[in-house]
Amino acid sequence: MTRPGFVLEVDERTPPLLVHEGEKVRLETFPLGTRVVYPPESLPGLHDVDGAIRSALLDPHGSDPLPTLLWPGMRLTIAFDDISLPLPPMQTPDVRQRIVEAVLTMAAAAGVDDVQLVAANALHRRMTPAELRRCLGERIFRSFFPDALTNHDAEDRDNLLHLGTTDHGEDVEINRRAAESDLLVYVNINLVAMDGGHKSVPIGLASYKSLRHHHNTHTMLHSKSYMDPPRSALHGSAARMGVLVNEHVKIFHIETTLNNDAFPSPYRFLTRREWEWSAKDQATMLAVKRGLDLAPARVRSRIFRSMEAPYGVTSVQAGATDPVHELTLQNVHRQQLVEVQGQSDVLVVGVPYVGPYNVNSTLNPILAMCLGMGYFFNMYRGRPLVRPGGAMILYHPVPWEFSQLHHPSYVDFFEEVLAESTDPATIEKKFEQQYATDPWYIHLYRTSYAYHGVHPFYMWYWGAHAMDHLGDVIWVGADPRTVERMGFRSASTLQDALQMASGTVGQSPSITYLHSPPFALADVR
Amino acid sequence: MSLRRDVRDVSRGWRWGRTQLVPASAEPHRPAPVSRAFPTAWARTPAAVALRGAVQRFGLRPLVHSQVAVEVNGREALDALRGPVVFVANHCSHLDAPLVLTTLPERWRRNTVVAAAADYFFDTWPRAVGSTMAFSTFPIERRGGDSGSQAVDLLFTGWSVLVFPEGTRSADGWTGEFRLGAARLALDAGVPVVPVAIRGSFPAMPRGRSWPVPGRRPVRVRYGMPVHPVRGEDPALLTERLRGEVARLLDEDATDWYGALRRSAEGATPSPAGPEASRWRRVWAATEPLEVDRVAARRSPWRSGRR
Repeated sequence: MTRPGFVLEVDERTPPLLVHEGEKVRLETFPLGTRVVYPPESLPGLHDVDGAIRSALLDPHGSDPLPTLLWPGMRLTIAFDDISLPLPPMQTPDVRQRIVEAVLTMAAAAGVDDVQLVAANALHRRMTPAELRRCLGERIFRSFFPDALTNHDAEDRDNLLHLGTTDHGEDVEINRRAAESDLLVYVNINLVAMDGGHKSVPIGLASYKSLRHHHNTHTMLHSKSYMDPPRSALHGSAARMGVLVNEHVKIFHIETTLNNDAFPSPYRFLTRREWEWSAKDQATMLAVKRGLDLAPARVRSRIFRSMEAPYGVTSVQAGATDPVHELTLQNVHRQQLVEVQGQSDVLVVGVPYVGPYNVNSTLNPILAMCLGMGYFFNMYRGRPLVRPGGAMILYHPVPWEFSQLHHPSYVDFFEEVLAESTDPATIEKKFEQQYATDPWYIHLYRTSYAYHGVHPFYMWYWGAHAMDHLGDVIWVGADPRTVERMGFRSASTLQDALQMASGTVGQSPSITYLHSPPFALADVR
Repeated sequence: MSLRRDVRDVSRGWRWGRTQLVPASAEPHRPAPVSRAFPTAWARTPAAVALRGAVQRFGLRPLVHSQVAVEVNGREALDALRGPVVFVANHCSHLDAPLVLTTLPERWRRNTVVAAAADYFFDTWPRAVGSTMAFSTFPIERRGGDSGSQAVDLLFTGWSVLVFPEGTRSADGWTGEFRLGAARLALDAGVPVVPVAIRGSFPAMPRGRSWPVPGRRPVRVRYGMPVHPVRGEDPALLTERLRGEVARLLDEDATDWYGALRRSAEGATPSPAGPEASRWRRVWAATEPLEVDRVAARRSPWRSGRR
């Protein structure tokens, strides 16, 4: 039987707690009275995923069954979430493969010939052929790649279509093929409450011209939080765009939710509550920790990149965007929601090795900030876990390392932009256009596997809400040079960090440790 | 080096060789509550009392006094008092219970039992038998439970009870909040409370050590005048009075009796919670050497106990 997430109070019986710090883990002894928010245990996955998919397609919400939407001679486009989901990548067969195969089976039965598959990567890097093959399976890859299985190209002017502007003056410009199709099927994975809904088509298949209306400092500051769509300006903008897109395009949404099985055996101790660790868990932890401490960086990366999550699929729903997404959010909350009473002075998080933008790559300093302050800080509904003016303590080594292949504009952003200012509004005003329109970055985005030139700006804006809310940000075990460049401070130990934060939160602050991953969404009352 | 540290952390956190504890706030999720019912009545039979008296007098007291230099004050407060009573003391070391037991006058020591954490001292049979035999402990649940009635019964049958109201040893040498159990006990049984202040036991044997540090550190035990609860008094108010009295005794021990009385009258007794500072500074202050001029540091262990 699964158990809900819960809030632990550290007392003299509490063993040291596991904290992620990049490609390592540590055991940390937290001060007595520290509040620890644990994610709920995994819900059971569906026994018959293929059956659930078929049922969802045949009995959709707010839409006719999929087979009735398919006919010979139609233009069918299937878009799907890119490699940024889920984290870590799930064991094959990926649920996207199962769904796309089911959709294609029905399309084949209906005699549809004109089919195009598009990875909805927006301004993310393109997926490599190997990644596409892993995501969709060998049959689909062999049938459609390279002509009819492609990455969305947000800089291909010929293949973008401007659908109009919303009543707020927001440009809606998306992939032309998707916009001109008789039916657009979107296949989603909802790992957190931020994903899915109108965030899929109007964002995943959009251009910079469209994205800049919500991926900006003003919107991010008014998104409280990203994980709480009704209170998120980002989602509000996406919804307005989605309404406009729906006026032009017939969309059939298929959304899925996953459980909390984020780590494969034998790494299950990472998701178990520490006082329940068996002797085997303790031995594994010792071996893993010692091994990671001793291993060269390259080996560590290989170990972590080889991790595939044995996620279970907890729900599949299909049909019109809004009713489908409402059900999806209910299922996400069923898995992740943890009730928490009140805010604390200090929020502690361990930043793990993988984020949405460094799959098979390096978690550079900006992405580490984004993961900690953009994602973990925002894992709340209602109010943040930390009070306004409080302190956030993050664990990560934050090495001065970048992937030149995947993140070329990040290097310049870090060296040039952050050296001049760390204020999101200032750098947005002064530098964003230059990076967004830089021909070299655009070339690398279109032809190599680079994130778009403007992407590091978006990652920096992602932390804007946290930066605005917090009085102090301290990184434990980090390279002082990198965190100083980002305008933060570094400490060697938690005790030092608390001492450094005492000027902001006093000598005896209340502390909350968000024990993640897997994800917990704190419902702060 | 690092491996050794990892192994040490794990062994401490998971109490290798002993029952793993579940954090109190996680207890509702414990699959099956472990019964800590441990019979202790046998330890209060005349034979056991006689045996324990010999053990404490000829074994425990020389041992304790050979490891720390003990100075005892204020025992005259007990002279005119009839038992039973509740002794309450600040708590920052495993030395505290032996210190009180070996400094109590014989007639009190014979009839005093010690409330000990059920989850710590009664988690295995050898430990439970050992502590019950040597210190006449009885189990008490730190987070509530039905052991409170046992303590009242003991008081009703003439046994005095030593309670450390903080519930656990101090992590930094300073006194924490007092829980309400000791006050409730005194109110329920209608018995006076004798406050006890212990100074120096933290630097002599802080948390994490299983034996006193070398060098025979000075330790002071100071008994205060009994505090009489008023029937119907709010346990919280009585607890506050008791904590204030322990604070005054600590102040008295660090300075002088009259000055401490004056500060107490003015509400200016230094807080036993210590300074508002970072942990290391608090530990630093708590481990400052005691004034040693009143302690004969080289006194023979066989004679120091008779002070």
